[in-house]
Amino acid sequence: MAQKSFRQALNEALHFEMGRDPRVIMMGEDLTGGAGANGVKDAWGGPFGVTRGLLDAFGPERIRDTPISEAAFIGAAAGAALTGLRPIAEIMFVDFAGVCLDQIMNQAAKFRYMFGGRAKTPLVVRATYGAGSRSGSQHTQALYPIFTHIPGLKVVIPSTPYDAKGLLLQAIRDDDPVIFLEHKMLYDTVGEVPDGAYTIPFGEARVARDGKDVLIVAIGRMVQVAEEAARKLAAEGISACIIDPRTTSPLDEDTLLEFTETIGRVVIVDEANPRCGVAADISALLADKCFDALKAPIKLVTAPHSPVPYAPNLEDAYIPSADAVVKAATSIIKR
Amino acid sequence: MSSIEAVTVPKWGMTMTEGKITQWMVGEGGHVTRGQEILEIETTKVTNVVEAAATGTLRRIVLGEGTTAPVGALAGVIADAAATSEEIDAFIASYADRLGAGEEGEGGASAPRTIAVDGGVINVLEAGPESDETAVLLHGFGGDLSTWLFNQSALAENMRVVAVDLPGHGASSPIAGEDVFPKIVAAVDAAVEAVAPGRIHLVAHSFGGAVAAAIAAKRSSRVGSLTLIAPIGLSKQMSRDFLVDFVAVERRRPLLGVLERLFADPSKITSDMVEGTLRFKRLEGVPEALSAIADTIADDNGQLQSIAGQLRELTCPVTLLWGERDEIVPLPQAADLPENVRLRVIPAVGHMPQMEASSAVNEAVLENIQGTG
Repeated sequence: MAQKSFRQALNEALHFEMGRDPRVIMMGEDLTGGAGANGVKDAWGGPFGVTRGLLDAFGPERIRDTPISEAAFIGAAAGAALTGLRPIAEIMFVDFAGVCLDQIMNQAAKFRYMFGGRAKTPLVVRATYGAGSRSGSQHTQALYPIFTHIPGLKVVIPSTPYDAKGLLLQAIRDDDPVIFLEHKMLYDTVGEVPDGAYTIPFGEARVARDGKDVLIVAIGRMVQVAEEAARKLAAEGISACIIDPRTTSPLDEDTLLEFTETIGRVVIVDEANPRCGVAADISALLADKCFDALKAPIKLVTAPHSPVPYAPNLEDAYIPSADAVVKAATSIIKR
Repeated sequence: MSSIEAVTVPKWGMTMTEGKITQWMVGEGGHVTRGQEILEIETTKVTNVVEAAATGTLRRIVLGEGTTAPVGALAGVIADAAATSEEIDAFIASYADRLGAGEEGEGGASAPRTIAVDGGVINVLEAGPESDETAVLLHGFGGDLSTWLFNQSALAENMRVVAVDLPGHGASSPIAGEDVFPKIVAAVDAAVEAVAPGRIHLVAHSFGGAVAAAIAAKRSSRVGSLTLIAPIGLSKQMSRDFLVDFVAVERRRPLLGVLERLFADPSKITSDMVEGTLRFKRLEGVPEALSAIADTIADDNGQLQSIAGQLRELTCPVTLLWGERDEIVPLPQAADLPENVRLRVIPAVGHMPQMEASSAVNEAVLENIQGTG
């Protein structure tokens, strides 16, 4: 099977679905090369190379470069979704959601509910997230807890190229607003991706590794960190199971509960800030529903409660490390 | 001349690079017979046993329990009494050099490739040395070539072994619509023609057994042997529910429940196996193709295919291997089997003896291929 990058996997999904369904359109900043490229169209395939080739294939009517106003184009995309199109709107950095949160939170997320179930909002908001790219505090946050908190939104955080393609196709075909978050540091990761189309249902966690001594729950890029930690733990004779929820809303509670019941020791790794975060949320779920199966406290390995630092050494220290996961896992096994 | 045989860390599947020795079932100095399970190895994906490749004494354990070592590493040494300690030391010393030398060592599997056939592609995985004769492995309904995880490398020590993804399975294109069975046979036959133009030994499981029987009937002059593991087509009995449920499920937990029916010991099923199955089930066109295949296998009154007539016409050795506790395609009555067919029942396993009793299956397949059964 073909090896493809995370970026290529997303690009394939966009090409496939735009070819299949004429209602799918894209909107965002610099999707087609944008101003400043001296009139060269599709100069760099979008800010991160994900939309390369779409302009040529589908034309400027469907691949729409927008002014730098998230409030305007996210609002337009929500309205277009409500009136029959299936827009994919790209927020270059999820941090910019601050200026269009009303459109997402009070509009798109509420239409189906407030119109008595008679409205559909098949909107996908794609955005990059995450630290590690030396982009500073305003371009590196992991804001999925904010979206996960809002009923009416679905929140998707792929961790592999295979999942990126299948989850994006599912997101575009979904009739509710979906926040689709792509970690900048995952774009160049490579994995097996089928050439054909496939969808992965939401709320279906992936068991990334079988193991019996400790369960590591990891989200997005943290799945890689968990895998590195699991290799280090294996060298110490500790067998770690890894579960990637894939979507934080809906959350695959059944799989998390099933594996917690069996294993009894849990470490949750999350790049988001810890307060009111997804790690805390999953931890509360497991403590509530699996208390008697737990053999040790649930350990959370998260970023600190601080903005992402710009200094490279501090940014590296900010991101949860495999060693921190190993330390947390070891602390609940050897107690 | 004394005989010294290596016990090595095997390669179970394309992604396996190393294994952890979890248990020696025989101590140093213990007698072992060829095919005996002597060593348990765990990988990130699976745990399974390694069988002795020779009869003799386990003279040396090189990798102790708890050790992790790369594929191909020397785990132990089996030798007869004539071998001196010096000879064994020299053998061990020479082995370290061999490991580094052959990156794609004997029996190791390379990457799979696709063969273009009418209506799509057939995915194949080749292993083993170049040889005039090729063993061809065909999996069953809902499986893929990873069904042969514990068999392909072991069989490939002596000859070229090609594992095939059937249409609509693994990475082969789906085929649906009218006449799905003959189309599948034609596609697989074309792929086998392309990868194995010489003499072939067919080894097939369950639904793959019917495909293999059809190919054997068509290519009888080139077929050296036929080994069918719990094939369809020899009785009416069949768990149709398995087919229907397998096609219907879309998520991990329900699929695991369906796959568990295949095994006497469901702990053999790994999350990788479940996710691998979901990966091809999710592909566009595959559910329809699987549904079409299911309809050719059985309806509410039982199985629809019959291979007894084809088997009866064959002049090559034909062996049937059947798990004693198979609940999917139950063991047929001996009276229903053609006279030229030899049946071996494998105790304590279900519909997947090639995974649950890989040593016994590998041994029986080799015997059938070599005509020593």
